[in-house]
Amino acid sequence: MPDFEKITQILFGVIDELNQLRPAAEHLDKSLDTPLAGDSGRLDSAGLINLIVLAEQKTVQDLGMPILLTDERTMSQINQVFRTIGTLADYINLRLNEKGDG
Amino acid sequence: MDKQQYTCVLISDFNLQNLAGYVANDPEFPSFKAIAAPFGPPVATLLNKDQPYWQDSPDIAVIWTQPQSVVSAFNALIKYEQIRLQELLAQVDEYCSLLASMSEWVKYAFVPSWVLPSYRSVFGALDMKAEIGLTNSIMRMNLRLAENLEKASNIYVLNAHKWVERAGAGAFSTKLWYLGKIVFGNEVFKEAVRDIKAATRGMFGHARKLIIVDLDDTLWGGIVGDAGWQNLVLGGHHHLGEAFVDFQQALKSMKNRGILLAIVSKNEEQVALEAIKNHPEMVLKLDDFAGWRINWQDKVENILELMTELNLGPQSAVFIDDSPVERARVAESLPEVFVPDWPQDPLMYPATLLGLRCFEIPSLSQEDLARTTMYFSENKRQELKNTVSSLEEWLARLAIRVQVDELHPANLQRATQLLNKTNQMNLSTRRMSEAELMAWAQQQHHRLWTLRASDKFGDAGLTGIVSLEIQDRSAQIVDFILSCRVLGRKIEETLLSIAICHARTLGVENVYARYIPTSKNKPCLDFFKSLFPRFRQQGECFFHDGKEPFSAPEHIELIL
Repeated sequence: MPDFEKITQILFGVIDELNQLRPAAEHLDKSLDTPLAGDSGRLDSAGLINLIVLAEQKTVQDLGMPILLTDERTMSQINQVFRTIGTLADYINLRLNEKGDG
Repeated sequence: MDKQQYTCVLISDFNLQNLAGYVANDPEFPSFKAIAAPFGPPVATLLNKDQPYWQDSPDIAVIWTQPQSVVSAFNALIKYEQIRLQELLAQVDEYCSLLASMSEWVKYAFVPSWVLPSYRSVFGALDMKAEIGLTNSIMRMNLRLAENLEKASNIYVLNAHKWVERAGAGAFSTKLWYLGKIVFGNEVFKEAVRDIKAATRGMFGHARKLIIVDLDDTLWGGIVGDAGWQNLVLGGHHHLGEAFVDFQQALKSMKNRGILLAIVSKNEEQVALEAIKNHPEMVLKLDDFAGWRINWQDKVENILELMTELNLGPQSAVFIDDSPVERARVAESLPEVFVPDWPQDPLMYPATLLGLRCFEIPSLSQEDLARTTMYFSENKRQELKNTVSSLEEWLARLAIRVQVDELHPANLQRATQLLNKTNQMNLSTRRMSEAELMAWAQQQHHRLWTLRASDKFGDAGLTGIVSLEIQDRSAQIVDFILSCRVLGRKIEETLLSIAICHARTLGVENVYARYIPTSKNKPCLDFFKSLFPRFRQQGECFFHDGKEPFSAPEHIELIL
């Protein structure tokens, strides 16, 4: 089963991709505390869309398990799920392991 | 490479913010400031010249649309309504007229070809049928787009199909579309940026002109000094042999497009030349190479010598060698020479060469096509020089002829190319598009002449430009440009005499040239300094008394 560490590494890969779209001075740190969305978030709406699509793509590529981050459940708590890289990794870990239990 | 930041305006009916991000943050030269126009309004509105992003005369514009957004007949076709081909193409023509109008206020524009996601091909067997198939229609529309825009000298259609193909399965993302109105996956945008930057480098005179290749295990398989030319891996029914032949074919195709080829190899020269002359499967012949250094010396020294011989700077060269040690040595010692990572597997050689994005030029002139021949002519000139006793005798025996023309549509393309890529003998290093150059030359107080030089050994083509701006009682030489391939034959003085002679007929009191220094145009400064006392330096300007004649050298036949 996927674990938090593997998912974090996948998200750091996503951050590498996102940083290619940003000036060097605005690069996102590969740290669990890096704020993403919400009041102190570093991503605008286009950045958040890229994050969602890339996280979905890389999760299925690297783990062979699909994750849907645009469903009602995720969208209803978007600011909590995407608050930091750490909260997003927690959420993906939770969802993937829920599927595993089923 | 210059550090200038160019402005790139992005126009689209969909969200190009990701493309803007890659354009602005890609580390490759040139550096761009990207401005993405809002994607909601109709494209016709976005192309209106009163829009704020056009006000600062952007260097580059990219207009990337979905076909159904700008050609309503195609939108109907997508819904499988009956549409006549003529109607479809008439709407493409209208769209092209709109694009062509933009050529007046932007230096260069790129229009990616229209592509459809593959899921649109629902009725596969009908897809290539005229007036029914979407793929058939889009191909015709793209062809029409390219034909129409060919007339605009500063608008280029880029092949977006290539980007989609390279991006593979991630080329289109319905998720990106529904969430953000982004049509393409990011891999497509990355490919687009590579092509846009490569094309821009070509526009602004930074295309590479010379490929320097190693021999053993690069041009052929094996070590010729050990195996003998009869035993080289080249051609035949052998996968490696075929790959080396294909690599040579690819190099030959580059040469046919005006890229010079040269050899730098650690070998016995006689042994290596024998292989080139005698091996029956050699595609490249000795006269395909503009020069070579085949010896046991350091390759860096050899490259420098060769560049001097060919009168090219290191920024013009690409170095291809199978040895990572040699590549690292050249890359470290000559950082301006482009040394691509080279695959270990010779089967990858042809595709790697053809995939290099450093040779792009905006147009192909007769001078480009004949470049290798011109270097052979130059060798003959130098041989003659070695047999005569003085520079004057050499110049007299060359029988140089110089033909002078005003700027006109037939020489505009080559003149613009020369303006944009000449670095050394260039007084002001202005960079302009064809439209800008012609507009400048047509102003009332401006004159611009081009110069073609030839001699008994061959025609060097259009190799000089001089322009004048008349201001009351004085005349400023604005452009003074001469290709390095004709320097040192007093054609410089001839070029100057054309402008001064004209200025004198207008009765000006003085003619002056303002030297604008760059990192590469010191030869131009040295030339003007050498003209003392006919030209006297005051700060950055050189003045000539308008009462004094300035004749062309006697050994040059001037055809006006």
